[in-house]
Amino acid sequence: MMAEIQNYISGILIIVGAGFALVATLGVIRLPDIYSRMHAASKAGTVGSGAMLIALAVFAEEPATTLRALAAVAFVMLTAPVSAHLLAKAAYAAGYRLWDKSVVDEMPSAKKENRS
Amino acid sequence: MSAGEHFREFAELVALGLLSLSFLLTLFRFVVGPTLPDRVLALDLLVTVGIGYLAVIGVRTGFTLYLDIAIALGLVGFLATVAFARFIMSRGPAGEESIEKDQQPEAEKT
Amino acid sequence: MSLFLINLLLAIAWAAVSASFTLANLVFGFVLSAVALYLIREQVGYVGYLTRSWRVISLAVLFVYELILSAWRVTTLVLSPRMKVEPGIFAYPMKVDRDGEITLLANLITLTPGTLSVDVSDDRRTLYVHAIDCSDIDKTRADIAEGFERKILEAFR
Repeated sequence: MMAEIQNYISGILIIVGAGFALVATLGVIRLPDIYSRMHAASKAGTVGSGAMLIALAVFAEEPATTLRALAAVAFVMLTAPVSAHLLAKAAYAAGYRLWDKSVVDEMPSAKKENRS
Repeated sequence: MSAGEHFREFAELVALGLLSLSFLLTLFRFVVGPTLPDRVLALDLLVTVGIGYLAVIGVRTGFTLYLDIAIALGLVGFLATVAFARFIMSRGPAGEESIEKDQQPEAEKT
Repeated sequence: MSLFLINLLLAIAWAAVSASFTLANLVFGFVLSAVALYLIREQVGYVGYLTRSWRVISLAVLFVYELILSAWRVTTLVLSPRMKVEPGIFAYPMKVDRDGEITLLANLITLTPGTLSVDVSDDRRTLYVHAIDCSDIDKTRADIAEGFERKILEAFR
């Protein structure tokens, strides 16, 4: 009975995760500029691979594997925002502009001089 | 073979299909660009999808060793993105279209 | 923080005494030592340790909830045939000022619906946030201030 539930849960999580990964990709294709694309890649991508890793954690028999899979989820969740943030900062500092139809930009361009 | 295992096998096949599609579409963005950060973002997403792929393969084959590969891939991908971001920051824009013209002299002095 | 270390040490001691280092036993030992510390809360001086750890846990739960919600928002946005996006960067004045808290706030903002932190100003008072829907900036600012920033201040002050 327990194994059946494990099978169903990990199957559902795998499909959900793969769906989110596909959504992240579609977002990266469809959204207009680098900053908006980063939204799709960092959020939907993180949830997608996180869900699939949790599926592996549910499926695994030994607790050690489950623990390692959960550690991998935590790792993905901690690194994804950092890399997105750093890439956005780098792109802005390097002078890649926002999309033409962006409504506001309150960030001073003078910040460029302060980059290290 | 029980109904649950059948369902899981089916889910694995569907997921592998979706993930392969994601790979191809990400590759499209990687090739088209149009700017360097876009390509780096595509690389980052490729790594994320790859981690998911490895997790699904791990469930499918039962070898949880794939998990370690996924963790290592995540680490390498994160470091690669960080390194590329540093590179973009120090290089500045290099004659790409989405950049304002008057910004270029400023960027060259660093 | 030192109380957390004592708690952890007591949990390891429990696992060593009961001679089984399984995950369940370690968690049980952790809960047990938390209860033991609660019993002598007057003597060790930290009355607020339990409420504080409760706030940290509720922050983590809020984080996961917001992450799933934001992935869902991105999904509906991307899959709608006519994408309605009004992206832009707005400045957010921060109340938190320690490095760790700023990092946490920036990470949380990145993983919440429709916002992505881009940069921190040099005087560490302003956070520049890219939002995918800038039609109502003041509401987004209020959401961040009422949600995450308040929770962070509660958990770490």
